[in-house]
Amino acid sequence: MKKFLRYSLFLSALTLVMASCQKDDTDMADIIAQYQVEPVNIELDYSELTETPDVPVTDESDSTYNDYVENSAWNKVININFDGGNVAIAGTVPGVSVQTNGAHVTIMNMSGPVKFIVSGKTTDGSLKFYGDKRFQILLNGAEITNPHGAAINNQGSKSLYVVLADGTANRLQDGTNYTMVDEEDQKAALFSEGQIIFSGKGELSVIAVGRGGIRSDDYIRIRPGVKISVNSSALDGLRANDGIIIDGGVINIMTSGVGAKGMRSEGFMQVNGGRLVAISKGDCRIENTDGVMDTTACAALYCDTLLNVNGGILKLLATGDGGKGMNAKQDVAIYGGKFEAVATGTREIKKPKGVKIDGNFAITDGYFYTYSRRSDPLDVSGSTMIATGYKTYDLGPKVITIAY
Amino acid sequence: MARRKRKQLITGLLLLLCSALFPTLSHADDGGLIASIEASHKFSKKLSAGLETEFRSRNNFRTADRVSIGGDVSYKVLPWLKASAGYTLLIDNNREKLTYQDDDVSYNNWRPSYWGLRHRFNVSLTASYKIRRVELSLRERWQYTYRPSKIIDNFDFDEGEWEDDEVKGKGKNVLRSRLQAEWDIPKCKFDPFANVEFHTTRDLEKTRFIVGVSHSLKKKHNFKLYYRCQLSGSSDEPNNHMLGMGYTYKF
Repeated sequence: MKKFLRYSLFLSALTLVMASCQKDDTDMADIIAQYQVEPVNIELDYSELTETPDVPVTDESDSTYNDYVENSAWNKVININFDGGNVAIAGTVPGVSVQTNGAHVTIMNMSGPVKFIVSGKTTDGSLKFYGDKRFQILLNGAEITNPHGAAINNQGSKSLYVVLADGTANRLQDGTNYTMVDEEDQKAALFSEGQIIFSGKGELSVIAVGRGGIRSDDYIRIRPGVKISVNSSALDGLRANDGIIIDGGVINIMTSGVGAKGMRSEGFMQVNGGRLVAISKGDCRIENTDGVMDTTACAALYCDTLLNVNGGILKLLATGDGGKGMNAKQDVAIYGGKFEAVATGTREIKKPKGVKIDGNFAITDGYFYTYSRRSDPLDVSGSTMIATGYKTYDLGPKVITIAY
Repeated sequence: MARRKRKQLITGLLLLLCSALFPTLSHADDGGLIASIEASHKFSKKLSAGLETEFRSRNNFRTADRVSIGGDVSYKVLPWLKASAGYTLLIDNNREKLTYQDDDVSYNNWRPSYWGLRHRFNVSLTASYKIRRVELSLRERWQYTYRPSKIIDNFDFDEGEWEDDEVKGKGKNVLRSRLQAEWDIPKCKFDPFANVEFHTTRDLEKTRFIVGVSHSLKKKHNFKLYYRCQLSGSSDEPNNHMLGMGYTYKF
């Protein structure tokens, strides 16, 4: 009996030891898999985009009537042909004066709509416009580099139609140091006090090393057929004070400056078509003002007010510290199109988020994807309205996908 | 008659101890096993030494918690006072650690459980006093445990990736005070015992209560079966209830 007891005791202990082979960890495999997901690939895309040409508005009472270059008569034409350090001007228009200094051209336009056909190449030249009359610049294979400031600078407040001649490649580049004129702004390689409307079926490449790429103190409209690429190592790629409307076109923007935005609209922004790829590679900008530290994160797309997406393709990528795919200060509504925002940056100073919206967010149609490697993929301060009828609705810790 | 009274007294004391512990139990408490094998040798009337290996489990007997091997040397300074010193190598299965962000909802870091080493040194003084067949003893033990640094896996949910994390080397001093009573019941092969032990660092870290019986066979073999309740002073560590089984071979 005693032996039996002893052996029983020994066997019991042995059994309990043998049975202790389970792990007591929480099963995290599925959860970790959600955090290890890789984002969609976003890269500059110069491929052709099949677009339906927009139909110019013919109703003169329509507020957008004057945005269509087709709605003006362009029988006043001046040709500007750059050739290294020289420039040839052909054609005269009453009320338009043209002054040249080497390849730097200054034009005072007091006439009606005038078309300036620009071609040729210069590495030390520029175009500067004065006068409150709308006008057209037809870029017909022009390459303008201004080491001292903007390549094209419009000080007039009326519409500037930048038309890219079919099949042409055009290039604008600013310099690292801008020579400023009192009481005149000069904010980008292509700068206009008035609105800029891009059209045509050519290509425009803007290189910004001193300030921004393309900037309007009014609004910017981009029409189908246009191909615009901006590479800015300094400030924002494309920026407008009073709004940006993308009706179409292929737009590629790359920025690498600290705190720079790929595209920034300080007014209402609307996307109706086209394809925008904006990549922001910069880190946070840190400023010390009177002993107060202020940090500004980069964003591929930054909207100071409302953003409506009705169609088109938006691909946004931020890779710098705290960089946002999209940073919207007010409401965002997606009614169609394809929207992808990815943030892969570090979070040393700011949190990198795929989409950050300070207002409300609504989606009723289209495709919405957002990813953040090191923070929230979607951060909405206001309300979120997701219409029913979606085919995909995945809310993960790193990725959110909503598709209709 | 006296013998019956003694048995009643012992049973009563054990029941009192158990009833004092039960209100502290909760569903969060853990259970496990302590199984040990020891060999000890008496070199003289005063000097003895022992080697012990021990296994512990947790998670209600389902998960290995610790394996250890160690030895000690004891010397009887006085008939009622024993001094001892020992070393134990501990191989611990450290529990997982999951931390959350400030919102208490989003994950921050997850460190899975891992095996790690610790070195433990101790010196003790034990004073004994016999009242009839009950031996009371008080042991004061200073214990120093050193955990060497170790690189382990950690999943950082912010980064979304596994990274190497260093558990830094750390030493810890603990004073363990144990009060024990052992009964030598005449003509009974089973000797009950009970003790209470306090682990103190700067504060009281844990309290252990043990009740059990030992059984000797031909003075060479000793078996022990006991229940140990450990009340933790920290919310990070659950209270636990251990079933202890021990065998000692004396030569």
